Amino acid sequence: MILSDQEYQMHKAAVWRATIILSVVTTVEVGIALLYDTFFHDSGFRMALAIFMILATLVKAYYIVAVFMHLKYERKAMAITILMPLMFLVWLLIALLMEGVSWHQMLGYFHG
Amino acid sequence: MTTATNTVQANSESNVWEGGQAPFGVKYGKLMMWYFLLSDAFTFAAFLISYGAIRYTVGQDIWPEPNKVFEAFPLLGHGYPLLFVSLMTFILILSSVFMVRAVQEGHQMNKKGVILWLGFTIIGGIAFLSCQAWEWAHLIHNGMTMTSPITYEIGGHGSGAVFVGPLAFGQLFFTITGFHGFHVTTGVVINIIVFLNVVFGTYEKKKNYDMVEKVGLYWHFVDLVWVFVFLGFYLL
Repeated sequence: MILSDQEYQMHKAAVWRATIILSVVTTVEVGIALLYDTFFHDSGFRMALAIFMILATLVKAYYIVAVFMHLKYERKAMAITILMPLMFLVWLLIALLMEGVSWHQMLGYFHG
Repeated sequence: MTTATNTVQANSESNVWEGGQAPFGVKYGKLMMWYFLLSDAFTFAAFLISYGAIRYTVGQDIWPEPNKVFEAFPLLGHGYPLLFVSLMTFILILSSVFMVRAVQEGHQMNKKGVILWLGFTIIGGIAFLSCQAWEWAHLIHNGMTMTSPITYEIGGHGSGAVFVGPLAFGQLFFTITGFHGFHVTTGVVINIIVFLNVVFGTYEKKKNYDMVEKVGLYWHFVDLVWVFVFLGFYLL
């Protein structure tokens, strides 16, 4: 499929825009991680930091899948067959992290 | 917008699944590459979620801090937390961008463009692997292996007080980044094979550069996984 010149330029622009977003988000993530370590090391905002990092990572994942892997431009039915099964991972994540907390408590119980 | 090159446009929803056409508007190979990547995503997710479970089991207070573990830079020495791994991340993102450009030039049937951008992609992949080799060598040199635990000096390099981390940290680090590195390695090998096919005009004769698109999907997936490895090991 050969695109018209206008479409080709549009696709190219979308890719460069995604590149800039990915670079900026990565830089901000690393910057905040370092700032946190320097100034807020023992403050209670560890959970807030973790949530920020996870959200920033999901933003990056969106741009890689939607723009680089072109999924945004595919038929919706196909995108759904690929993305829906990933929902099971949300369950696995919650279940295993809760298991981890539970194992931690049991170890404490056994070791005093 | 459609990327279908070989399909009859479906007239109505009712006859779309009755055979003879591609309901998703993509060729078989590309669809199967997507489903392979889906299965691969489950493998990596199992790795990373297990990492989370073990990390909670061991406990946050005796889990090593990434800023203390990953703080060396080639030639510069110690005291540069996260700098080297950020460089690796940028290399992989850029390599992914080069790959998108190669795929786009393939759609335009521009052989020279594909050669140029796929070449850059391969160089990026090799650069990433070299960085990873250096990082592994550095960590192993510092005593972190599959059988001996991570140690670092709490107040920075040369301060004396030594922190000894759990054995699981190194084991998880080497298996997960190793499995990712293995994917990058196979990606580079497949990229080189496709690159040679482009150079020899195989796809020019076939009148499509679909293979570049398929290997491109794989390559972006490797980048995608790295984003989550980066989150788990270096940011959290």
